Amino acid sequence: MENKEFQIEEFDIKLDTEEIGRQFVYIQQVDSSNSYLLNNKELKINGTVVLAEEQTKGRGRMNRDWQSQSGQNLTFSILLRKVDGKKVNIINLGASLVVAQAIENLFQLNTSLKWPNDVLINNKKAAGILIESTSKANELDRVVVGIGINVNQINFPGKYKIEPTSVRKEFKHKVSREKLLSEVLNLYEELLYKIDESHEEVLEDWKERCSMIGEKIKVEGSKETKFGIFDDIDSEGFLIFKTGDKTERIHFGDVSLS
Amino acid sequence: MDLNLIKKLIRVVENSEITEFSFSQADMKIKISKNSNNGAQNLVHSVPQVVQQPAAASTEVKPSDSKQIETAAPSNLHEIKSPIVGTFYRAPAPDADPYVQVGDSISPGSVLCIVEAMKLMNEIESDVSGKIVKILVENATPVEYNQPLFLVEKN
Repeated sequence: MENKEFQIEEFDIKLDTEEIGRQFVYIQQVDSSNSYLLNNKELKINGTVVLAEEQTKGRGRMNRDWQSQSGQNLTFSILLRKVDGKKVNIINLGASLVVAQAIENLFQLNTSLKWPNDVLINNKKAAGILIESTSKANELDRVVVGIGINVNQINFPGKYKIEPTSVRKEFKHKVSREKLLSEVLNLYEELLYKIDESHEEVLEDWKERCSMIGEKIKVEGSKETKFGIFDDIDSEGFLIFKTGDKTERIHFGDVSLS
Repeated sequence: MDLNLIKKLIRVVENSEITEFSFSQADMKIKISKNSNNGAQNLVHSVPQVVQQPAAASTEVKPSDSKQIETAAPSNLHEIKSPIVGTFYRAPAPDADPYVQVGDSISPGSVLCIVEAMKLMNEIESDVSGKIVKILVENATPVEYNQPLFLVEKN
């Protein structure tokens, strides 16, 4: 399969942001784009984006692997500085929202969201997000939003919890990674401005795309698995989980339809 | 009218050498001007301060809280707190060794733990050098915003 280098010029023409992606680092191979931004403390500019063609240690939650074929997909990380700890969940949910919106805007595909931040196309997983941050003295100094989107990859060998897919598989044509990345970044910057004013609109937009609300779900934590109803998302973005007449807030864990 | 567009324009003008900018489209007219002398800049800066002050006052520490801080300071103990709501982990992965144990010496930048909230993994680094005297939260349990996690004896 032909591997086309990422065309930075083409991406730059479509980029319509002030901060996000203005400082752009393109790397052929890196351990993980998140680690690169977390550890290279000399990269200081808010909105710096690192795009890696190949990640040797790409990962998801709890150090699970994130595999992506070189040159086919988008695996990138965005650096945000001095983030308010109370807004970070909305920034997190918002990342999946803009990936879904970008895919819909450009390719008119049917997307949905799975709490907290998986993006599905026709109920198959097309993108995942892992945010890593470092804090010191109660301040989130560096927040790195890592996004992996399956763009042009066609084969997904191996076993997966949710069936994987790519934009190309669903759209039936090879698509432009440059266009998709710029669209995601444009929408994300707009969303970050919105969050500065209010969480409400972002949360409502997110909920509208989440097909799990009201459904029976399974929450797998590190110690136990619970069954109940996905009741709602609270104002901080946490999942409200109902079992009988008891409700609790879920901060983390693997959530799936039961 | 798109408020975001106006905000963006203001930012562009703010960060540039431009002192006046006007733009019109259909029945919309935008004029942004800034005064480049220092007096005017001070005026601009004073606006957010006015907004912030009442917020700061409402979250002012209660007398009991400030007493805790007073007693902690002379004994040289420092609390490391959680900046977010989430789940506290002492190790980077379920089968890995904890970042720190009671008695370990730490310095600014040492990673002490992870707090996870919805696939956000936040590494908490120490802001002081000293020795861990107490771990206040059990592994894999929920923590609240600003909850103390570690007690550190400062060097």
